[in-house]
Amino acid sequence: MQRTRSYSFLITLAITIYGAYSFVPPPTASYTTLNIVGYKGIYNSAWVGYVSAMMTTIMLSLYGFFLVNSGIKKDIDTEVGLIIATTPITNFGYLLSKMLSNFLVLLTIAGITFTVSIAMFFLRSSGSPFVIADFIIPYLLFALPALFFISALAVVAEVFLGKRNILQYITFVFLFGIIMANVTAARNNTIAIFIDPFGVRTMTHSIMDKVNSRYHTDVKEVNLGFTFNAKHAFKTFEWNGIKWTGIFLLSRLTWIFFALGVVYFSSFFFHRFDSRQRVSRKKKSGAVVFNTETVKVSSTSINPALLPAVTADYSIFPFIKTELLLLIRKGPKWFWLINGGLWISMLIAPLDIAHAYLLPVLLFLQVTRWSDLATKEKTNRLHYFTYSSYKPLQRMLPAQLLAGVIMSLALTLPVLLRYLIISDFYSIINIVNGAVFIVLLAVCIGIISGGKKLYEILFFMLTYAVIEKVPPLDYLGGMQHDSHSGIITIVLMLNIFLGAVSFGVRSYQVRHL
Amino acid sequence: MSLVIKNLTKQYNKHKTGLSDYSITIDKGILGLLGPNGAGKSTLMKIIATISKPTAGSLFLDGEDIVNNPDKIRKILGYLPQDFGVYPNLNAYEFLEYIAALKGVGGSSLRKRIDMLLDGVNLTADANRPIGTYSGGMKQRIGIAQALLNDPKVLIFDEPTVGLDPEERVRFRQLISDLANDCIIILSSHIVSDIEAIADEVAIMQNGTLLEKGMQPDIIKLVEGKVFETILSSNDLAVLKTKHLVIDTSRQKELTRVRYIAKGNSPEPSSVAVNATLEDAYLFLTQNKA
Repeated sequence: MQRTRSYSFLITLAITIYGAYSFVPPPTASYTTLNIVGYKGIYNSAWVGYVSAMMTTIMLSLYGFFLVNSGIKKDIDTEVGLIIATTPITNFGYLLSKMLSNFLVLLTIAGITFTVSIAMFFLRSSGSPFVIADFIIPYLLFALPALFFISALAVVAEVFLGKRNILQYITFVFLFGIIMANVTAARNNTIAIFIDPFGVRTMTHSIMDKVNSRYHTDVKEVNLGFTFNAKHAFKTFEWNGIKWTGIFLLSRLTWIFFALGVVYFSSFFFHRFDSRQRVSRKKKSGAVVFNTETVKVSSTSINPALLPAVTADYSIFPFIKTELLLLIRKGPKWFWLINGGLWISMLIAPLDIAHAYLLPVLLFLQVTRWSDLATKEKTNRLHYFTYSSYKPLQRMLPAQLLAGVIMSLALTLPVLLRYLIISDFYSIINIVNGAVFIVLLAVCIGIISGGKKLYEILFFMLTYAVIEKVPPLDYLGGMQHDSHSGIITIVLMLNIFLGAVSFGVRSYQVRHL
Repeated sequence: MSLVIKNLTKQYNKHKTGLSDYSITIDKGILGLLGPNGAGKSTLMKIIATISKPTAGSLFLDGEDIVNNPDKIRKILGYLPQDFGVYPNLNAYEFLEYIAALKGVGGSSLRKRIDMLLDGVNLTADANRPIGTYSGGMKQRIGIAQALLNDPKVLIFDEPTVGLDPEERVRFRQLISDLANDCIIILSSHIVSDIEAIADEVAIMQNGTLLEKGMQPDIIKLVEGKVFETILSSNDLAVLKTKHLVIDTSRQKELTRVRYIAKGNSPEPSSVAVNATLEDAYLFLTQNKA
């Protein structure tokens, strides 16, 4: 309940409703969510129900991890964990409760997409009869075990990777990539069914079989997810769902038990909020040892009359310096090695690869830095000072934005320089625009939602869309477009809008604590 | 210098009122705010610190309206909130330089000022460590140092002695006394003895309203001649509680020493009159009006 009572969750639900609406595109749309080149299923109950369940399973598994992977961290931050640690609850009991609460959050969202999918059936209906089982069964068999597994993964990631969010994200994205590679692989033997946590490969193979038998063809590939530019002639076919096999049902059960098993296994490694223990381990390996309470060495007091006179200085440069310092120090130091590696790669990789893949990935890897930009005052309870400072709107917020932009531009520098050499100014403006956009988006969403999570999820989805070449979301201008100036204008307008909202909302916040 | 608060009201929602038609004039010196939880102390301090806007009423600093012109007070404000935090990755120097920038303080003398403040709050030896490694008391001390960075003329301390050890509390009181000649200091605390030891004037609040404001002796006068002590058995204590306002009890073998305020000036037999304190007056005012 605690997790769902936030603005960011409400915004997530609103986005979910829109997402669920887009899972079932109209026949005239420029994209599909389940694409078999040259063929399209008739919009009967089975098609709408299964496609919606499949999309919910994949998309919610993808962003759901980001949504729920901070349950234990919250207990550490609020120090509720210290109270929990003194109760008789076992490690497994606690982690299981976290996993189930993750699952309930994801289930709430799946419930919404389920409801919207039924509405979409009537909206997009081809006149086929409505069969409720075609909606309930795929959600039960695809979505539920998959979300159960994702909920467990989120807990396990927190146990083993602690507060290292970016490491959790990288590991999860890597794992998700492996899972999806298996889902879309051609073979469909028993092992392949068992190692598909989403269960959707059974569905895609059933659809391929249907097309192949109906048109005596040899379709071997089904694209899942949003596929654009799918406007071309197609033949239709009627697909009425899957005949469930015992092996398939067993595989779904196996994933539920596997999820419980990994949580149980991780409970042996759970720190139970014993942060002191972890610090002391660090002390042994580190060179510097600090006492928790300093020995008092001075008995002097502050004599106000002896303090040097104060010199007024209202410039924003000290802020920019501190904001940059905080941006740089965020996260583990060794992570800069990865950043450095990618940065250098952008100098030597083919320019289109550097622009379309390496740059969005490098910018995304800094997600915890951007998401912190305008939220860290509140999360660190420093907003009392910043809001009561002299002209906070004219000094503080611009400094945060400038620091963010300086860093994002520094990260894009290799690609910018290479475009400068070949005098491709459209691409330069696109990249600068995009670098400003991710910072403004972080600040705006942070200010409105008061947290980091929503931006982290959105930015992940945005990066995923850019890598998957979804043209409308190409904020860095790395894809082919009919009009370069069109995309520049759109991102520029968005930037102005985000900036205006950020200043407007923050202006209210500084006087309404 | 004076801060004039007129008919201040802060309505959070239909059911929650932070301050209700609150008026007070605060001059140079130390004003101690006393009141139970939810009395409106923090709300009042936030409004003076310009981070909360009143629903109605006005605030004037030397005749200047600071509700509509908050930057007037922000330049000369030192504020130590009750529940403040720090950036854990910064060390004490970096943190204080950042706060100095917030307050619009810079120049070549800034480093020396920071050095002296850190020395004054006993943090010089730890100044290069990330603040995230500090104990609660050390964080509180850096909070005190930041409040003094800009040579403030209005100082607001919300529960400043929380987390300080007894020695640090004494040093803090000393510091506040030194500063009081030159500025307005508003201080809230749950520890009545802290207020008693530091404040020139005391304002007692409850439910968002001002119950009483005055110099300490004037407030204590309200209960003079009404405070008594006696030693009773447990049964007699229960009876006494129904008739008088019990301030304090302490066990003495099977009996209990009781300090109470007699209602209607008729003490229990065998009671001894004792000197009234600020705590007696505070409890008398807040519990009588509850």
